[in-house]
Amino acid sequence: MPRLNKRSSYYVLLLPALLIYLAIIIFPIFMSLGLSFTEWRRFRMTGFIGLQNYVDILSDPVFHRSLWNNIQIMLISVLGQIPLGILLAYLLHRKWVKGTKFFEFMIFLPITISSVVIALLWNRVFSPVGIYTTFVRMITANPDYVVKIFESETYAMLPVLVVLLWQHTSLYMVIFLANLQRIPSSVFEAAVIDGAKESTIITKIVLPALSPVIFTCSVLAISGSLKSFDLVYAMTAGGPVNYTYVMALYLYQHTFTFHNYGKGSAVSIIIVILSVGLISLVRGIYAKAQKKFE
Amino acid sequence: MSERTQTISKSWTIVSYILLILFTLITILPVVWMLYSSFKPMGEIMLHPLRLPAAPTWENYQKAFKYGNLIVSFLNSVFYSGVSTFSTVLLALAAGFALTKFGYKSSGVYFGIFTLGLLITVNSVITPLFIMETSVGLYNTRLGVILPYIAFGLPMAVLLSTGYIRGVPDALIEAAVIDGASYIQIFWKIVLIVSTPVLATMAILNFLGNWNEFLMVFTLTSGENMRSLPVSINSFAGRLNEDYGLQFAALVVGTIPMFILYLVAHESVIKGFGEGALKE
Repeated sequence: MPRLNKRSSYYVLLLPALLIYLAIIIFPIFMSLGLSFTEWRRFRMTGFIGLQNYVDILSDPVFHRSLWNNIQIMLISVLGQIPLGILLAYLLHRKWVKGTKFFEFMIFLPITISSVVIALLWNRVFSPVGIYTTFVRMITANPDYVVKIFESETYAMLPVLVVLLWQHTSLYMVIFLANLQRIPSSVFEAAVIDGAKESTIITKIVLPALSPVIFTCSVLAISGSLKSFDLVYAMTAGGPVNYTYVMALYLYQHTFTFHNYGKGSAVSIIIVILSVGLISLVRGIYAKAQKKFE
Repeated sequence: MSERTQTISKSWTIVSYILLILFTLITILPVVWMLYSSFKPMGEIMLHPLRLPAAPTWENYQKAFKYGNLIVSFLNSVFYSGVSTFSTVLLALAAGFALTKFGYKSSGVYFGIFTLGLLITVNSVITPLFIMETSVGLYNTRLGVILPYIAFGLPMAVLLSTGYIRGVPDALIEAAVIDGASYIQIFWKIVLIVSTPVLATMAILNFLGNWNEFLMVFTLTSGENMRSLPVSINSFAGRLNEDYGLQFAALVVGTIPMFILYLVAHESVIKGFGEGALKE
């Protein structure tokens, strides 16, 4: 092999990664955008229809419900998983208990389990022969109790949200714990000696120190909740009726069940726009909050 | 410590124990229940859902392996996750070396393009990806799964590898250049070796992510012999399966491999997740 000069070496090292990435992620995004303006019938593109796909989607009640369900997932992620994660991390970090490593090990375990397994397991937990049902039967002394919430139009998402909270809280716990360990322990000791209350330590030391990580985690949580598919698909497949539909499921249905690639692509683009918009919003809030602290 | 702070920290100890034990139980009980229920026949599960198996049996597992195509799916999962993780890590380290130690101005642009990928999720490209793979004959092939796995692993891996390699002293590389080593040799003999810690983090995060991935295998393959473990388990033990014992056995099979990895390497796993997200 001839000896490569510096610039050729640069490209030999960089291009394999760059080309795969451009071909499989960046190019399809533009292709998606193009496809979203097209009409499809029976596996064939039948013409350019401008924004019609978007108009159809945005006026479809099923899409509205999907969007609302995604918003619920986002709220439980940002306002449930993250604060709970901070609380658990803080309790572990202050070492008030013995066996912190044990608790960390146990609480983090669900991260290794695939969403499909988690979904099917929790369906069993809520089923007539499940732990939850049996437990409620025991405390209410009602041997015929069954979980009916799945059938309720208003609350059908609740089991999904509970499972999401169970599944992901520990991820944030671990991230926050790693970052709390970067705060010098002398800071906590000094605050305790000065007689600071725990609430003061949390608001004056912990939250400001964690604020960049809270921002990063919020971004993770938002983009994660907009893409949620596996868990919902395996747990309810969007049902009953379409009470638990989410945007990714709506997309899946149009692309892979109806083979309407135009409409499927338009849903993708809507998800991208929402995700970029929401993340910019969080970035704006974060910048403002930072200014206030300084 | 004053008496007051001591009583305060005592009550915090109690609160902490209650919360942590509660959380641990909520985490562990369903998993433990799944494990022992998988050794119970269907009838016993219906009658006594919470009791330990009266006469533990492997029957559910025998049936699950017989009808669930689990061995092929397991091997597929190993292949998909292994090959793509190896490739992602190697490519990301090479790119990380190029982007940090060559001093070209274009590096910043390429790096920016890679980090953009962090915001792009699988479902924003799945429709065109499906069309592309169908038209070039990659649909329902193993390569057609591995290539997207590599691509979607790259943004995070490039971020981690550039962050790490940037911290490697320039002098180390300059000295090797003066000694007459080529840049490619430097990559194989120096960069790869000094990057072992970040390499481990990247490999673990990637492997776990690919192992549990569902949507791409589900939509880009159709043959039963191409399916990975999560997809097979979903179709075999999915919502409509009425044999709970069989279902539990399949779920346990889906859980065990990563559980073993976690048992062996939980410190690296926890550290990897904790630090993976640190790098903004």
